[in-house]
Amino acid sequence: MYLKVDSLEKRYGAFDPSVSNLSFSLAQGELLGLLGPSGCGKTTTLRMISGMVAATSGRILVGGHDVTGLPTYRRNMGVMFQSYALFPHMTVAENVAFGLEMRKHSKHEIAKRVESALAMVRLNGVGDRKPRQLSGGQQQRVALARALVFEPDILLLDEPLSNLDAKLRDDMRNEIREIQQRLRMTTIFVTHDQTEAMAICDRIVVMNKGRLEQIGTPHEIYETPATPMVADFVGRINRLKGTWRSDGAIDINGSMTIRASRPGARGAPVLVMVRPHRIGLVASGSAIPSAEHENVLAGTIRQVTYIGDTLQYSVEAAGARILVEKATTSAGDPFQSGAEVLLHWSEQDTLTFAADGER
Amino acid sequence: MNTVSVNENPFGRKLVLACLLPILLVNIVAFMVPVLNLAAMSFRAASSTGSLEEGITVSTWLGLFGDGYYWSMVGRTVWFGILITIITLLLSYPLALFVSRREGSLKAFLVVVCISPLLISAVVRTYGWMVILGDQGVLPSLIRASGFTPPRLINNETGVIIGMVEILMPYMILSLLSGFGKLDATLEQAAGTLGARPFTVFRRVVLPLSLPGILLGCLLCFVLAVSSFITPKMLAGGRVSLLATEIYDQAIVTLNWPLAACLSVLILVVFGAALVLYGRLSKIVE
Amino acid sequence: MAKHSRRQVLVLGAAGAAGLAMPWVSRAHAQERRITVAAYSGIFEDIYKKTVIEPFMKANPSIRVNYVGFPTSAQNLGTLRAQKAAPQLDVCILDMVVAKAGANENLYKAVTPDVLPVMKQLVPTALIEGMPGPAVTFDNVAMIYSPKKFASAPTSWKELWNKAHAGRITLDAPPNAVGMGFTFVANKLAGGTDYRDYSKGIKLLGEMAPLVQSWEPKPDCYASVTSGNADLSVGYNARIQTFSRQTPDRIAASIPDEGSVFQINTINLVNNAPQQDAALEFMAYALSAQTQATFTEALPYAPTNRDAPLSPEALARTAVTPERMSKMINIDWLEVAKFRDAITEQWRRNVLTRS
Repeated sequence: MYLKVDSLEKRYGAFDPSVSNLSFSLAQGELLGLLGPSGCGKTTTLRMISGMVAATSGRILVGGHDVTGLPTYRRNMGVMFQSYALFPHMTVAENVAFGLEMRKHSKHEIAKRVESALAMVRLNGVGDRKPRQLSGGQQQRVALARALVFEPDILLLDEPLSNLDAKLRDDMRNEIREIQQRLRMTTIFVTHDQTEAMAICDRIVVMNKGRLEQIGTPHEIYETPATPMVADFVGRINRLKGTWRSDGAIDINGSMTIRASRPGARGAPVLVMVRPHRIGLVASGSAIPSAEHENVLAGTIRQVTYIGDTLQYSVEAAGARILVEKATTSAGDPFQSGAEVLLHWSEQDTLTFAADGER
Repeated sequence: MNTVSVNENPFGRKLVLACLLPILLVNIVAFMVPVLNLAAMSFRAASSTGSLEEGITVSTWLGLFGDGYYWSMVGRTVWFGILITIITLLLSYPLALFVSRREGSLKAFLVVVCISPLLISAVVRTYGWMVILGDQGVLPSLIRASGFTPPRLINNETGVIIGMVEILMPYMILSLLSGFGKLDATLEQAAGTLGARPFTVFRRVVLPLSLPGILLGCLLCFVLAVSSFITPKMLAGGRVSLLATEIYDQAIVTLNWPLAACLSVLILVVFGAALVLYGRLSKIVE
Repeated sequence: MAKHSRRQVLVLGAAGAAGLAMPWVSRAHAQERRITVAAYSGIFEDIYKKTVIEPFMKANPSIRVNYVGFPTSAQNLGTLRAQKAAPQLDVCILDMVVAKAGANENLYKAVTPDVLPVMKQLVPTALIEGMPGPAVTFDNVAMIYSPKKFASAPTSWKELWNKAHAGRITLDAPPNAVGMGFTFVANKLAGGTDYRDYSKGIKLLGEMAPLVQSWEPKPDCYASVTSGNADLSVGYNARIQTFSRQTPDRIAASIPDEGSVFQINTINLVNNAPQQDAALEFMAYALSAQTQATFTEALPYAPTNRDAPLSPEALARTAVTPERMSKMINIDWLEVAKFRDAITEQWRRNVLTRS
């Protein structure tokens, strides 16, 4: 593993630690997402890795070397800041050249590399301008060029897309991924947006309250969340509280029975989670396809919300409200409020957690 | 909501003019008229007893230009102004930087501490320095107690510089703080991640970004240093003759108002030069 | 310093404006006449108010006197100069050299024994040729010393050249009037015989320069000795004597055997003064024998009225004892006024630079 973060901890005074017992590692060329709600410690982690914040305990290793005690300027890591942090008194070219000057490259070499870095982010010809004369997206690219031009060991991106508007954000996200892949740059990408993380990261670390909740590929995070927090954070989800029965099924309030792929201990309380778009919806009395491993519930539609690409149905079933999402079609809404329906979903899509949070 | 542009709205423009008029009038009455009076006074004739005489003459001006004494006085005044400004800057900069990096109520408190000397008049503060620096004062006594012979700290140039620097520091700190707006801790961290050592970060990022504040503070302190006479009068012991103290002497003691007026115009020229220099440098910095 | 005078000017201006704006007020008080007397601030003001102004108002209930004090005579004249178009002052008491400058600008109206009969009682030296008003006080330059540092009063000006006092001497350099006067004392010490050729004095002063702590003691030369910052200085006799009476262990005056120079204050009627008659009544009172005696008893300025009934003790404190009179250096201050700037120049080039 190229970058290794081992039992990292950060405390400010007597407060609860901002980051505690955090360990993960990255292979060379890997793009790892640090995902979590604001205040979860992801930015603090990034700052500890870059050396801007001193770790209270734990170690950071790059290529086998312990860099925990090294000052920022000796870590050779490129950082792209949320605010871009471009030097306002320097031109674009001077901004990009800064890291090369610090490494005492020749003037000729610097000019050559600045030019190719600007070309890489498709900003040829703006080298003489001041950052404030550029658009937000352009400034973003300058920041990226500046962080990459000196060939850092690791690239650290701190919420790089949060200051852009939605359309530009998607383009920029793909561009970052494309450049990262081309350079095979070991990269950590801090974000609070699960879509962003899912879209471009090889693996994702989900953090909450300073602790690691789960590390895994986007697929693993989404399909097999380790904790209810992860399940909740990476997409919309239905929550139901129940108890394990002796036959491996789950009893919800005595009025609903749900089966899961992996049964738990009898009598134990259980938290059941199902993603709204994994639930099928048919009119009452219709046949359920492949009913063997399906959970089936009868219910009544209480509310229909049209949000363009999806339709959200709030269905009352066995005394609970269950959210169901379907892609819209040009044919219009198949169900109206008050319609009697059957809900069905597969055992595999039934996520179960012990009620205290463990699986 | 649409914003109403002043230029497109004739009523708005009139309103703006009406609002500006009082301050314009005050400026004309309280600034332009006295300055013109001063210029006129410099062409009046004065007898040797100090009495003003009728008629217009350029003899005061000619006398001034022909006398090397006044040239050296202008030179000394400018030199003192620059020296005092530089020392004030060097002492104020770290303080201002420290204060600007604190946050919330601590910052507000520190700002108040830094400018609180302004609540006490310069005369009182200068008397304080006389007590501290005087031959029997606190500082020389301490130096003597530690077995050294104290240098003369008052009634000479040293005293004037010490006093003036302390008097001007609050102004410099305020100017610097107002000019530190562009400074952002993130920029310094960014420079660090790019491989800049702390001193390089200061030289390449912090210093250039604080130049507007430095220029403003230097202009303000230079002008104040060159024009102040109370502190130099009290701490110089008659050994340092500067333009402002000379104007005071000529206007108040000798009653040679035409000469005082000439010297005042001369000081205005010095200020004009300082302003032009400030304008040029600001443009370069921007 | 300048701020004070500016504020006073403002106050005067405001008072004047109020007077103009409210004519009915002055009509209502037509019976009461108000005059403004400008003289020195500080101890002079305290004692002059008590011994002259207040008794005068008691004796003349229809006249109210407003006293304006200035730290220097020059500021006194400067204020009147600024009010030339519409004077707010009626009577000015100030140093004769400065008064002469004002006279040249026609700021004062010459008074004669016809309008001011009390002038006939004044000593001849009080009626100075070319001056618009008579002398009202005589004083002289004296040595200030700290009694703690001297077993007996120093009797020679040469004490100021004694290296034992290095760094413990203060002296107000010209253009200050004390320094101006001391130049002639030094000139006499150096063997100069004519005060108009003061080059020997300048040379001697240059030898004293390294011993001097300050050429511009703040707040003034008297305080520099009273506060213990200096042991020797030069000032005006009347003030030293008065401070000495307040704190005898801290400050004392000595009029050395080599003699000294006079300082003369004249009393002047302002040209176009708002209240000429009342002003003349005040001047007559100020110059009267009894008033002069009362003032001198309190503040040892020598009287100019030869009939002033002085006690021997009060007379002994002034500069006009026969024995002291004989030692005085005879100087025509109006003559000095012509080369004042040159003296200042000489000090700057040849005295101050050597300290």
